[in-house]
Formats: sequence, C-alpha cells, structure tokens
Amino acid sequence: MSGGMSDFDVIVVGAGPAGSSAAIKLASSGSNVLLVERADPPGSKAVSGGILWGKELEKVVPDWEKVTPLERFIEYKSTAFLTEESKVSVDFRTKKFEKSKTGYSVLRAKLDQFLAQKAKAAGATLVTGITVDSLSMKDGIVNGVVQDGETVTANTVILAEGTNPRVAIEAGLRKPLSDLDSAIGIKEVVKLSENTINERFNLKGNAGYAGEFVLGFLEGGVRAGGFMYTNKDSLSVGVVISLPHLRENGKTYAYDIMEKFMQHPYVSPLVEGGQVQEYSAHLVSEGGVNSMPDLYGDGYMIAGDSAGFTFSNGMVIQGMNYAIASGVLAAETAIEAIKKKEFTRGALSSYQSKLERSQVLMDLRKFRGIDRLVWSRLVHETAPEMLENILFGIFYEDGSPKKHLANTILQGISGSNMKKSELIMETYRMLRRM
Amino acid sequence: MSLEIVVMVKQVPDSQEVVIDPVTMNLNRSLTRNVTNRADENALEAALQLRDKVGGRVTIVSMGPPQTESTMIECMARGADRAILVSDRFFGGADTYPTGLTVASAISKLEKFDVIFAGEESSDSSTGHVGPGVAEFLGIEQATYVSKVDYEDGLIIAERELEDGTEVVKVPTPVLITVLLNANIPRRQTLRRKIDAIRRGIEVWNLEKLGMPPEWVGVRGSPTIVRKMRSIKEKERAAKKIELDQIPELVKELYEKGILKLEESQ
Amino acid sequence: MQVEEKLALLNYKTDPAYAHITIDESICETCPDHFCTFGCPAKCYTIIDGRINFKYEDCVECGTCVIACAHGSVKWTNPKGGQGIKYKFG
Repeated sequence: MSGGMSDFDVIVVGAGPAGSSAAIKLASSGSNVLLVERADPPGSKAVSGGILWGKELEKVVPDWEKVTPLERFIEYKSTAFLTEESKVSVDFRTKKFEKSKTGYSVLRAKLDQFLAQKAKAAGATLVTGITVDSLSMKDGIVNGVVQDGETVTANTVILAEGTNPRVAIEAGLRKPLSDLDSAIGIKEVVKLSENTINERFNLKGNAGYAGEFVLGFLEGGVRAGGFMYTNKDSLSVGVVISLPHLRENGKTYAYDIMEKFMQHPYVSPLVEGGQVQEYSAHLVSEGGVNSMPDLYGDGYMIAGDSAGFTFSNGMVIQGMNYAIASGVLAAETAIEAIKKKEFTRGALSSYQSKLERSQVLMDLRKFRGIDRLVWSRLVHETAPEMLENILFGIFYEDGSPKKHLANTILQGISGSNMKKSELIMETYRMLRRM
Repeated sequence: MSLEIVVMVKQVPDSQEVVIDPVTMNLNRSLTRNVTNRADENALEAALQLRDKVGGRVTIVSMGPPQTESTMIECMARGADRAILVSDRFFGGADTYPTGLTVASAISKLEKFDVIFAGEESSDSSTGHVGPGVAEFLGIEQATYVSKVDYEDGLIIAERELEDGTEVVKVPTPVLITVLLNANIPRRQTLRRKIDAIRRGIEVWNLEKLGMPPEWVGVRGSPTIVRKMRSIKEKERAAKKIELDQIPELVKELYEKGILKLEESQ
Repeated sequence: MQVEEKLALLNYKTDPAYAHITIDESICETCPDHFCTFGCPAKCYTIIDGRINFKYEDCVECGTCVIACAHGSVKWTNPKGGQGIKYKFG
C-alpha cells in the first residue's frame, strides 16, 4: 500500500462533480483513493439548476462530450425581467455555440453517477450509502474520517461535501452557514416531449435554451431569481430566493414563490401540459470570496461548493465547472504531496496558488461583491418596472400625438420607485462591478 | 456453539419508483433503480442477531444478474461474512419454481447449513414462494412469517405472526425461516466493513458450478406462463360523512344491504 | 399545484431510527418569527395550535432551516448512510 501506515493515500468526502473529478485524477495517477458518498446511488441527493458551463470535464474525461450524460447544448441564452404583467428580455442565440459549445444542461442523478463510476473504473474505491460522521485528527492534523466510531485513515482528506458541508462545519474548518453566503434554491423537473420543447423554444435537434429571470413581481421586498433550462425531454424550472429579504418580509413562504413563478403569464405557457416529475430544493452558495473558508490546512483541502466556489451575476449561475476545476487542482496538489511524502499545511499550500492562477479564484475575486448587486433593489424593483414603463410608452398606440423618445424614457424613469440621482449612482456602481 | 447461517436475498426494483406504462401495461423500468428487497434486510438482521448471540457465520446467497453485487456488498457492509451470487445467463427468466430449486442447489453445495433466513416475500412479485420452496427442495423444516427468533438447546424458537394470533414454534435445525417485513430495525452499513467487503469481493457461482441440467433452470425450467396482464381499475368507493348520533341508522342501513351480518353467539 | 402534492412525488428512504434534524421546543415556544415555516421548501415546519410542529420525514436535506432559525433551535446532521431523500433527476 503506497499510503504507508494509512489505509488510503487520499479520502475524498462526497461524490459530486468536485469529489469524483478529484478521485478520477488521483486514481488515474495510481494513488490509493477512497471516494465516499452518503447518497446511494451517487447523485440521488444532488440538485443543481443545472447548466454545466465550460470544458472542465475534459481534464478528467477526455472524450467527455461523447460519453457524459448531457441533455442539450446551450444555443439560446436569455435574461429576462418579469413584472406582474410583462416580460422584458435580452435573448442571445448563435450558431457559434453549435460549433464551440459553451455549456450543456445536465441532470445530476445521471451526471454524478456517471462520474462516480468513472472514478471507480479508474481504480478508486467507491463507497456509497455511507455518511462520514466527522474528521479524525491527530495532533491537530487531519488523518482520516470517522464513521460509526471507526476511523479510516489517509494522508490527505479532500472535503467535497457540497453546499451544506456538515463535516467541515463540525470540524470548525468552515463557519456555520448564514443568510449572507446561501440562498434557497427550489426546482421542478417538468416532463414534456422532445418535440414540444423544440416547438415552444424554437429549437432544433440537440440545441437547448437557458433562461434566467428576475422576479420583479414579488411583493413586500422579497427578492428571487428564476431559471428555466431545457433538458432532452423535460424542463428544469426553478427559483433562487434571497434569505435576508425573505426573512425581512417575514410572511412569504419559499415554496409559494416557486409556484408563483410557474404561474407567471409568460412562464406558465412554456410549462403547460407538462407533468411535474420531481420537486427539489438545495442551498445555493452565494458568498463568493467573502465567505470563503481556509481552503487547505494540515492534512486537508476543501473543493467545490463546500469552499463556496459558485458564481452568479444574474445572467449565469455557475458552480459545477468550478467544482470540477477545484477538484482537479486538489488532486494535483495531493499527487505532489504524495511524491514528497509531506502532507502539512505548507505542503498543501500550492492548492491555493493553483486556484489563484485558475479561472476559479480569478472569477470570484474579479466579481467580488457582485452578489450585493445581483440582489439589489435596482435589479429587483427599479429596473423591471422602469423597463416596462419605457417599453410600454414606446409601443402603446392610443392615437394621441407621439412624444419624443427621450421624453418617453425620462417619463419611464421618473415613474419608477427610485430617485434619478440614486439610479445614476446605482447604475454606475453596477457597471463598475461588472 | 457455532451456527452456519444462510440469508437469501434478492435485488428488486425500488417499489417507490416503479411506474406501469398505461399503454403497454409493462413495468417502465427506465427510471427505476434497484435496491435490496426490504424484507430481506429484516431477514439479514435476524440472522446477524442470531449469529451475534450464538456465534457462527452468516453467508448471503442470491440469484440474479451481475449488478446484484451491490446488494451483496451492502449485506456484507451490514455484517454478513460471506456472499455467493448465483449468476448465469441460463438462470434468466426463472419463475419461482426453478428459482427455489437453483438457490436450494447452491445452498446444498455449502459444507454445512443450520438456519436459512429469507424475507417473507419480495416486493416486486410478492409470491412468498421461494423461501418455502427452498425448504421443500432441501427437505428441511420451515417456519414462515416470523417476527422473532431465538436459539436454545439446539432448537430454534420462532414466533410466527398469524392472522388470529402469535404462534411460537420450536424446531430442530436445519430449518428455513421467513422473516416479516419490519420485524426489526436493520443495522446500518459501516464504512470499514464496506471497504473490506469491496476488497474481499463476492463469489459468483454459475450453472456449471451447481452442476444442474440447463433445462431445470431459468425460463426453460419455469412452468408459469403469463397469458395476459391487466392493471386493475379501482372501484370508486361510496363515502359518506355522518354525525355520531346517526350511527344506529348507519348500522341499520348496512344490515339491510347485507353488508353487515348478525352472527349468533355460541 | 400544492407543495404537498409535489412532495408526494418524491422517493424517501425514511430512517425510523434516526431523526437527522432535531429542534429544541423550549426555544421555539418563545420564538418571535418562526421563520423556519417560511424558509423550509418542504413544509416540514408548521404551526399547529400555536406550537411548532416538525417532521423530518419530508425533509429534502437542503439545509435552509439551520440558517433560517436565528435562535439556535435547529440541530442539523446528515441522515445516516443512504437514507432520506432519493432524487431521480436532481
């Protein structure tokens, strides 16, 4: 056994995109790795929107586009503001995405099972249906995991537990979750035939649609975003709800927001006749670098959602690509550590520098604080109403003489709920952040 | 004292996920994942409790396709000592008769067996045939629908739950016991045992190993012919809300309709 | 569609021997907001006769309640291996 006195070189806790990617990388390099997952089968407790952006998977599954259970490639991207009676959207679709894919819709029960089996095929010991209770520590160094009172040891533990990382929190490696670093995600999978989806979204073949929505129709200061993605023969429809605003409101039920979104006049026709196959909920990491824990320490590293590697700017929500990227980097760091036979904080510190040089932390640092904008009054209250007013003013024909376009716009702005000076400042701040 | 204990298990489609296609009347298994038959988990727990009390060894025997391995590993992760999967393409399409015969044949190949446990029935076919069938083929005693098992002075003491009460039987070994669903709370798998089980692996026995003629097993050895399947349309039940003081009238009405009958007390 | 109907679609492997979430009812009694009832997407927290009624059986393991409760009543652990919610799509 290459791990000396330990049972394994590396134990990976959690077989999601981060954990399985790490395990595939480690096992392919000949390391003795245990991948342990509480769900059985893997993926049966996972929820994501879910679009897998980018090409990170290539690093662990070279022919990934051929073999991975992917639903549709994203050809049609849309961002929309919804008010009670209107929808203002920016649609972008391009044939360029057909040649060079930017993202695929996925369903996690299939994806995670696929990746975990890849790890097993690469030589990892895959154990499913077992919940790790805690970390084993010796002289302040993580040296394994504890389950049912028994310790299984390893030189390094990679924590890839997802967005509600109980083991990391229990061990004090991550602060307990708070309103500021998590939002509530609720989702429904709605069954529709492939043809119906293609007709409704004007799609052909395996092309897919990914829409993000600002739910500007919610009352009482409640703020939420919505999403709708096309799978092969179903839609993934959901909402992401800001916890601080829901708390402040204090009388709106999270599950009612989901239903309200489904019943919006410009959402319901898209899901009409569909059969709800599944209802699910999951926390969405929101904090970015501001609530990021120490990413490594003596004998451990944290990857994926557990580390808060999620990005959202209102137009896209990304997480799985960062999960895979960070899992791979944690594995690479562990492989170096195994070669040097050193697993201290110092030896694992290259994980952080690798992340800093990668898209993961560059994106997160560049867009630091963007969550404040994403959940701002400007985006959720002012913009939807203002855009509705302006466009209604432009397009509504009542027979009276037309106003100058500039006047219509100014009227739309002054009719909104924010002062002009405030609006200019907020817009300026928004543009700077982006 | 040391008992050689066998547990018969079956991997079944998760009953919570089974959907019957309204057009073809076939089970739509595309969305159905396999799990261990729940009553078999209770059978395993009864076996483990007996082993822990008396001493001995628990061997899992299952007949099924190769993916049954995950169920076998799960059983070992709960504490079973050994797992034998009887698997061969010849065994495919078997009804309960050749299944019992095949499993009995595998068990008879073991050096020794004192107590055989099985779940009361499987959740996918609910016949309850295979357990008692194995006992018959092996020519041993059996106690069915058992909720509690003990062992004293070389005898198995089994509590059988019957429709009109509980029956306690004392039987000599070897004996086959079918265990009721929810008779106990199955112990959990542990990480350490699951890793060990994966490393040790399971034994796979094929037709040749059992030395049975191919015409005795699988679809060829099955006397059952399914002519037709239909799903049952549930009859709308007549429901009626009544006040407490209307009960005498209700009883009268039910009596007049012949739903309630008066029985002479003896 | 009611949330109860949506939850009825789900496959749970309920652990009869272990409640992975527990609440401290003495804290809930004096709670001014009962925000858990608004946050929980699976309606596990309801108020019956003025008291919090909690059932872990419907839990989809999202973790919202442990954040929602600002008073320290909710203790959240993972269900024991393989038990709890079992999504088909995710």
